[in-house]
Amino acid sequence: MAEATQAGVVCWHCGQPTGTEAFCPACGKIQPVSSGSDFFGVLGLPRRLALDASTIEQRFLTLSWKLHPDNFVRESERERALALERAALLNDAYRTLRDLVSRIEYVLEQEGIRREGEARQQVPPELLEEVFELNESLEELQSARQQGMSDAREVVERLREAAAGFEQRLQELDRRLQELAQSWDEAVSSGASKAARGYLEQMNELLNRRSYVRNLVARVTAELVEV
Amino acid sequence: MARAVGIDLGTTFSLIARVNPATGKPECVVGPYGHPLCPSVVSLDPDGRIVVGEPARRRLLTQPERTVYSVKRLMGRGLADVQEELARFPFRVDPNSPQVVRVLLGERAFTPPEISAFILREVKSWAEQAFGETVDRAVITVPAYFNDAQRQATRDAGRLAGLEVLRLVNEPTAAALAYGLHRQQRGRVAVYDFGGGTFDISILQLIAADQGDIYRVLATCGDTHLGGDDIDARLLDLVREEIYRQWKMEVDHWPEVLQELRRAVIAAKHALSEQNATTIRLLLPDGAAYVRELTRSEFEDLIRPIVERTIGPVRQALADAGLKPSEIDEVVLVGGSTRIPLVRRRVEELFGRPPHCELNPDEVVALGAAVQADILDAGVRDTLLLDVTPLSLGIETMGGVMARLIPRNSTIPASAQELFTTGVDYQTGIEIHVLQGERELARDCRSLARFRLPVPPLPAGMARVEVRFTIDANGILQVEARDLHTGEARAVEVQPSYGLTQEEIERMLEESIEFAEQDFTERQLIEARLEAETVLRATEKSLAEPEAGELEADERQQIDEAVRALREAMRSSDYRLIRARTDALNQATQGLAERLLNRALTQALAGKRVEGT
Repeated sequence: MAEATQAGVVCWHCGQPTGTEAFCPACGKIQPVSSGSDFFGVLGLPRRLALDASTIEQRFLTLSWKLHPDNFVRESERERALALERAALLNDAYRTLRDLVSRIEYVLEQEGIRREGEARQQVPPELLEEVFELNESLEELQSARQQGMSDAREVVERLREAAAGFEQRLQELDRRLQELAQSWDEAVSSGASKAARGYLEQMNELLNRRSYVRNLVARVTAELVEV
Repeated sequence: MARAVGIDLGTTFSLIARVNPATGKPECVVGPYGHPLCPSVVSLDPDGRIVVGEPARRRLLTQPERTVYSVKRLMGRGLADVQEELARFPFRVDPNSPQVVRVLLGERAFTPPEISAFILREVKSWAEQAFGETVDRAVITVPAYFNDAQRQATRDAGRLAGLEVLRLVNEPTAAALAYGLHRQQRGRVAVYDFGGGTFDISILQLIAADQGDIYRVLATCGDTHLGGDDIDARLLDLVREEIYRQWKMEVDHWPEVLQELRRAVIAAKHALSEQNATTIRLLLPDGAAYVRELTRSEFEDLIRPIVERTIGPVRQALADAGLKPSEIDEVVLVGGSTRIPLVRRRVEELFGRPPHCELNPDEVVALGAAVQADILDAGVRDTLLLDVTPLSLGIETMGGVMARLIPRNSTIPASAQELFTTGVDYQTGIEIHVLQGERELARDCRSLARFRLPVPPLPAGMARVEVRFTIDANGILQVEARDLHTGEARAVEVQPSYGLTQEEIERMLEESIEFAEQDFTERQLIEARLEAETVLRATEKSLAEPEAGELEADERQQIDEAVRALREAMRSSDYRLIRARTDALNQATQGLAERLLNRALTQALAGKRVEGT
């Protein structure tokens, strides 16, 4: 980013220096978003993963009071455009950081470990057997449906159990992610950058697994809803 | 300077409201008919004059081919989208205008935003009359589930009506605002808004913060083509079929009879919200009479599938908000269709608690809009509305897949940026197709816009252009592009897939001078006199019938007195007095009118019986 340092930034309205403030300290006018500001910075949060949900929400609401376009309806076109940009960025930041999984994804993308929207659809090795059985059950259900569901009860029961099992696995994955997030935070705080990188890579693996399991659960749930 | 107003531009009725500067409370403006509802009906006189509201509604019976209602259903839609509407509503449209529907009124064609602008002008003139000052700024409400094109069409209508549209506010959010002020409630609120043409469900969280109250929408869902209109259509189908079965007569061939029938089934629907049974009566063109008792339970069986269609969106909104029905603290009912007992029972059953309906469901949206107008215009900073976009925004990618950029239920404004590069050497442009919807494939989503992004001619993969998609606080899309090499902004001409271009709006604004507001009072006077003449003529005709001889002396005297009073009023230029005395004459002749109708029905039935034997 060409203008990483904000020292030279001055207010578009009064010409006084503004730093990275949303509002000019001298005249109070809303300022453009400084390029390179990341979502943690937008919410005034430290770049950490294990953040408290209510803290994030409080920051979001407090900043919304100041930046929402409703406050600028009677201002100049330029100020309205700036408020729109700032408020949109605030909402984007909140949407991205409010839950742990998308927070981790965001950091992984920033670190170049994961690409946006990426989710590998390979079967995690330890799930191979279960996934195989699940697919069999789903096929059984489909053929039972074609034959008027006469003996579908048993397979429906089996699918319910499988779904519950995968659901539990999801919870385990989330717990594990939470732990790794904490470890990453500590590693970053103590400057252990190599360890931090390792944690991120582990999290990336878990996210792939998680997205795979989630798709399975969604698929089974959709089939069971039909029944 | 007058305060900004709030306008509920409804499918069936429109209302205008503002916060009373003296009391600080929102109030609806009472129009010339003594209530705040302006029928959303527009009619074009043969002499080129536009008629809106109650007089236009009466013209549905006499000049259906020059009159249009429920035009909100056509807002922001193309010809291909409205085929279902065209089959069910007597809209006459120009078949040669695929991107924007053009409705024919007599020999002239109007777009839905133009027709809506006539309605907006009408209620605006009510407000100007009431306040004695110009009204030029407004908050206009839209169904929460309206897409980008429908919102743009509404904003265009506001502009065409000479209004600065301060904000488009979602109807359920406006209703929550009005309720929140009324009840000072906190917690999670579900707003179930079942109106004339649209259904919305919004789940909100009401938060008390240090700075004031926050109304935060957690999730919204709905159906922009589900409302009381569908219930009317169901009843209409029933009667139409029964008439066909008995007389082999297709009422559709008589637009006037069809409108009379529509009026009758709507009256029956209203009656069944209060009573357990009602009778639908209709005189047919050949003098036969259709008379049918309809019980509430029969009515409920008929409309149950329509009411059930609201349940899917409710469940979806709850799921998106991550809540179970039992986690909702309050349920609020909005929209005229929530007067139907079956709807109330179903909502209560779903949420496990009785819904709130203390505020008039017709007025609550306009009241909330007035509050928001006041917040925006007067700079009141003690309330904050955080609304969401109802539909995901994305772009078409390789293979016709929709790539989601901003998910539904994101707080607005919201934005997303996407980096584009070229695949071919010295390519000068990239085609971008912006979509809205939840489906996987682009062709199943709503096309918002297509545009060609200009790129500098460079070897493949070298050009880097960043496009920023922003959904503003009105829920409307903006697109900006920036060349990452030069840092320069690149102009993007976004042609909406549906709706009007900027040039078309400019042209319409010029043309609208043709329909420049006629003096309000003068217009009211002309209409009141015309109406009075119609009633006087009808009275004279009735008095010539044999039944007139059977009238009691005092009844006859009352009629004569009412005729004399009305004639006197017509010599004045007081339209309110003329209206009042017209109503009085109508009242006085009611007994006589009933006798005449009875005779017509008896004769028709007698005739039928003779034929049948």
